[in-house]
Amino acid sequence: MGEQRDAQRWWFLLPAAALIVGLVITAALADISHRVYERNQNHLLDLRVRDAASVLTEVLPDLQTALASAAELADATDGNVAKFKQFVAPYVAAGPEHQFEDVSLWRLGDLQHGPVTVVGPAPRLRTGEASTFFAAGEKKRKLSVIGFLRAPGLRLGYGYATATTTGGYAVYAESPLPADRRSPIAQTSAFAGLDYALYLGRSDRAGNLLLTNASNTRPSGRSATVRVPFGDTALTLEMSTHGSLSGELPEDLPWIILISGVLLALMAAVGALRLTQRRRVAERLASDNRRLYAEQRSIAQTLQHALLPDRLPTIPGVQTAARYEAGERSVDIGGDWYDVIEGPGERLLLVVGDVSGRGLRAATTMASLRYAVRAYAAQSDDPPTILGKLSRLLSVMDDRQFATVLCVEVSAARQELTVTSAGHLPPLLIGSGQASYVDVEVGLPVGLERGSAYSSTTVSAPAGATLLAFTDGLVERRGENLDDGLARLARMARIGGGAGPESMSLPSLLDTLVTDLQDDRAIDDIAIVGLRWTN
Amino acid sequence: MDELDDADPTCLVRVERDAAGTVLVVLSGELDLGNIDAIDAEVASALADKPDHLVVDAAELRFADSSAIALWLRWAGTVSHLELRDPSPLLRRVVTRMGLSEKLGVTP
Repeated sequence: MGEQRDAQRWWFLLPAAALIVGLVITAALADISHRVYERNQNHLLDLRVRDAASVLTEVLPDLQTALASAAELADATDGNVAKFKQFVAPYVAAGPEHQFEDVSLWRLGDLQHGPVTVVGPAPRLRTGEASTFFAAGEKKRKLSVIGFLRAPGLRLGYGYATATTTGGYAVYAESPLPADRRSPIAQTSAFAGLDYALYLGRSDRAGNLLLTNASNTRPSGRSATVRVPFGDTALTLEMSTHGSLSGELPEDLPWIILISGVLLALMAAVGALRLTQRRRVAERLASDNRRLYAEQRSIAQTLQHALLPDRLPTIPGVQTAARYEAGERSVDIGGDWYDVIEGPGERLLLVVGDVSGRGLRAATTMASLRYAVRAYAAQSDDPPTILGKLSRLLSVMDDRQFATVLCVEVSAARQELTVTSAGHLPPLLIGSGQASYVDVEVGLPVGLERGSAYSSTTVSAPAGATLLAFTDGLVERRGENLDDGLARLARMARIGGGAGPESMSLPSLLDTLVTDLQDDRAIDDIAIVGLRWTN
Repeated sequence: MDELDDADPTCLVRVERDAAGTVLVVLSGELDLGNIDAIDAEVASALADKPDHLVVDAAELRFADSSAIALWLRWAGTVSHLELRDPSPLLRRVVTRMGLSEKLGVTP
């Protein structure tokens, strides 16, 4: 019961454990899935940025090639203006190759006088800046880049100088930038859906911003940056994305896992809760049943004992004792009874009876028969007369019951007993190292015929003998011959009931027999009454 | 719980009647206080015509308590002759010890 109460106190443990384990597993899975997704997204964005960078890397040399070719041409023609103009015109004029707004030719040894010639509008590069600007790329034979990034008129300026021993030439060109530095990505482009920001130089300072398609100058969300060399400087490309680069399912997967996991954990917890509660209900029912069973058995036993004698009379030289034991499984009151009635002249009448059936009907019939016997005995009737009168009180046809009754009469004066049986099992007489059933003439049980005739048998008892009268519950066993049961009782009683060293007191003998003979094959209640001559 | 579960063991009954008017009641299982009323009701119509001869076949009866004996005694009261055929050794000795072998037509 203690364990059961503990189990009831901790009933919530199983559901709680199911919930916690479920939630932990769900959280771990969601986290792993989220990490995988993040890593995947970062990797994908890196790939896209590198793609974009390689596109840039392919386009940028075209600028340098155009300017370098123009410079080499000027060098070779010693600054032939006409040839220079003819060469650069396609780059400046409107058309598919239009790259520059203006292109100018500078003589390196004579920069302070301004450009030799200009195709297109006047360049932004001031004469004073020219020498430092060209000097930067001159030695490396690289494109020099300068940005005029303050409105109005945003420009990128490129210069290419060919340094030779005789002086050499430099070509300078400018490209316009959109006024708001915004340039959207076409919907059909491979980079559609991404935000980008392109900076001049190696840092992504807002002041260096060349182009972007984002409304904020600073891209937000997941971003990746790559630098591409550009002449004597570099371009910094920053790309960012707000959405998923690999569709919506992978993006939502952690959430799907989380939500379905939480739902599953809740369902598991509810299932466990129901299971626990059903078990608790079952346990409570079982415990109620046990209690009711015990209660009913206790009521039956209380009633049974109330219908049986409180204490037994004795006469000089004769000791009496009795036991009543309800059948192992019985929750019903039985119809067995015993009685010891004191008669005139120091005589005792032992009565043992058994009404067929069980329950209140059997018990009330038993009580009427018991008191009827007492009444007839009080009228000084002898046992055959008592049983004859008793047979008028009960009818198996009307009452659906019959009864077996055994009467044993003893007197203090004589060492003998007179037995009368109405269909009852014979009494066992133990003495002189022998235990034998008294050979009685058995009459019909009470309830079969009105006014049956009974005759009694008188046998003598050895000194110190013990007599046991009992009901069939003591000897009847399922699947066993009745005679085997009777033999077993005789065997057990012979030792304890005799006068030898193993002799027991009468109450102890009855206790021992009732305890030892009651096994799980016992069918019925046991009533046993014992008598011992003590002189 | 076991104590309550098998408190009502089952008993099956088959009633036959031959040309000579003998009623044969074949019982099997366990007959006790819990089911004698049901068995009695099954056999009642066959006994209503007060047959001369009633045979109760108890060969397949594993167990019978005293209320079963009371039932047979009532049946015996409504026919001229009842024969309890093939009772178990225990039942045979119980009936004999009760002095009922003649009433129930049992050879001791």
